[in-house]
Amino acid sequence: MALQGVEQTILRDPALFYWIVFPITVVMILTGILRHYATVLMNNPPKPASTLAESRERLGLFRGVNLRNNAHAVLSKESFEMRKNYLISAYQNGAFLKDPERRGQPPANPMTDPAGMEAMMGMMKGNMMMMIPQTLIMSWINAFFSGFVILKLPFPLTIRFKSMLQSGVMTRDLDVRWVSSLSWYFLNLFGLQSVFGFILGSDNAANHMAQQMNPAAGINPFQPGQDPDKMYQNEAENLEVMEHFCILDGVEERVMQHYAGHVSY
Amino acid sequence: MTQKTFILEPDNRSNLVATFRLAQRAPMVLQKQSHAEENFPDTFVHNGKEAEDYGAIERLLFSCLQSGDDKSASCFIEQLAGRFDTLDEKVTGLKGLFEEATAEDHSSLEQYLRRYDLLLSKNPVNLPILKRRIALLRSLSRPVEAISSLVNLLDAVPTDAEAWCELADLYQSQGMNSQAAFCLEEALLIVPNAWNVLALLGEILYSSAFSSDSEGSCQLLERSIQYFCRSVELCTDYLRGFYGLVLATSLLGENRRLRGYSQDHPPPRKTNTSTSVAHNIDPLAAFARNKLDEIVRRRSSEHKLWEFDQSELIAAKELLDRLDSSNK
Repeated sequence: MALQGVEQTILRDPALFYWIVFPITVVMILTGILRHYATVLMNNPPKPASTLAESRERLGLFRGVNLRNNAHAVLSKESFEMRKNYLISAYQNGAFLKDPERRGQPPANPMTDPAGMEAMMGMMKGNMMMMIPQTLIMSWINAFFSGFVILKLPFPLTIRFKSMLQSGVMTRDLDVRWVSSLSWYFLNLFGLQSVFGFILGSDNAANHMAQQMNPAAGINPFQPGQDPDKMYQNEAENLEVMEHFCILDGVEERVMQHYAGHVSY
Repeated sequence: MTQKTFILEPDNRSNLVATFRLAQRAPMVLQKQSHAEENFPDTFVHNGKEAEDYGAIERLLFSCLQSGDDKSASCFIEQLAGRFDTLDEKVTGLKGLFEEATAEDHSSLEQYLRRYDLLLSKNPVNLPILKRRIALLRSLSRPVEAISSLVNLLDAVPTDAEAWCELADLYQSQGMNSQAAFCLEEALLIVPNAWNVLALLGEILYSSAFSSDSEGSCQLLERSIQYFCRSVELCTDYLRGFYGLVLATSLLGENRRLRGYSQDHPPPRKTNTSTSVAHNIDPLAAFARNKLDEIVRRRSSEHKLWEFDQSELIAAKELLDRLDSSNK
């Protein structure tokens, strides 16, 4: 350790490098790629709305959001007030709901609701895709490579890094700069994101395709089990507190000033 | 490479010259594709295609249909159907477009309409087919039905800016300007920085100013001027925006003079919404004319670059000449 002025040396077989570091890295990259394609294959796109009323329930919320975000760029005071009042009353009366009679009842249990079930399955598949290969590789490394010290970092580190770099090797006196095989696995697990980005292109290259063919239908702001009515009430409250201002007021002066500074473009 | 970028350029469907040029390349593209498929294994070529390639194919399809190259168009449709299933909603929509474009008589169009109804009875949210049906109703000159089905569509899908614009266009064709303005405002709430839609809204307000009484028309003109201003604020050499600004400001100025208000004493207003327009009308008119003049002169000198927009340029020149002669 640098503090003691003594360079710790461990006599290692140089073949360790080729038989441990290299395989772990290659396996990690390959499983990453495999996982990507497996996710792409297993992934089913969110189900589009099956009736017009359902579509309206999903997208009605965006009207309020758009009004809140963009009204100041477009609307004069009268047309803003008109839209605001319309949307607030529609939200509060549940005019956009799929089946207005069921308002106020507790939302369907996601376990019994088939649509909710499907969404949960999707999430579960995604998690499984992460979990299973990781467990497998972790146990593979534990079985074959546990306890090996395989690398020495070329720079000194503080003692806190010991738990990060030397998991699986329980020696108190070993210099922090030595890296154990299990730690190399963890470093790979978290550090290969950019490598995957390089190999696979942008991560969601395959998902884009499905969405491009049908952009509007797939969007669903509601998570399974969420009550749309509650979200509408929320949005109505958001709209109620909105004050009107418009960037069109005085736009002429602004334009003239703006162009006065620039003779030509 | 240059060819590829040309095809990938954002499309401008109102621009006939560009459309025609694009369509002329279609046989070349098809030939190149067949070469590529001969040289490589079939699957490899298909896997290598990215999303943007299919976007390019779609655009080529549109321009082929517009310029009457039906053979290439059907090839492109086959390609799309080969990649995405034949039953895919968008592919059926494109196929419908192709069939409508190549339909020979009125009765076959009616037949397509019935087929769309059948498809919609199976899946009521088949958006591409819903839109095709509306477009078909419009081309069968049944605008009232088109409007009512478009309103139904927008009730279910209120976040579709293009549909709002289409509805505005339909309303305007029926002379319902205030409804058209409402639709464009909705579209703008979705895409607030679309300068062409802003200018379009200005145009509609301008044209509805003719049909209302003098007080209301002044107010409409002021709003129209505001939208034109916003449009040219967003796009600094938008010819159409400046053209509208010149028209609207000169008309408003004339109205003022006719009613005897001088520049220093703007008319008393019930609502003080847009007083800055009232004060600035003359400088604004002069500014817009200068700017329009400048754009016209620059574009005339760079003829090659603005070749596609000659009609707009001619109209702008004519407006400037007319204003000059009326001032003398």
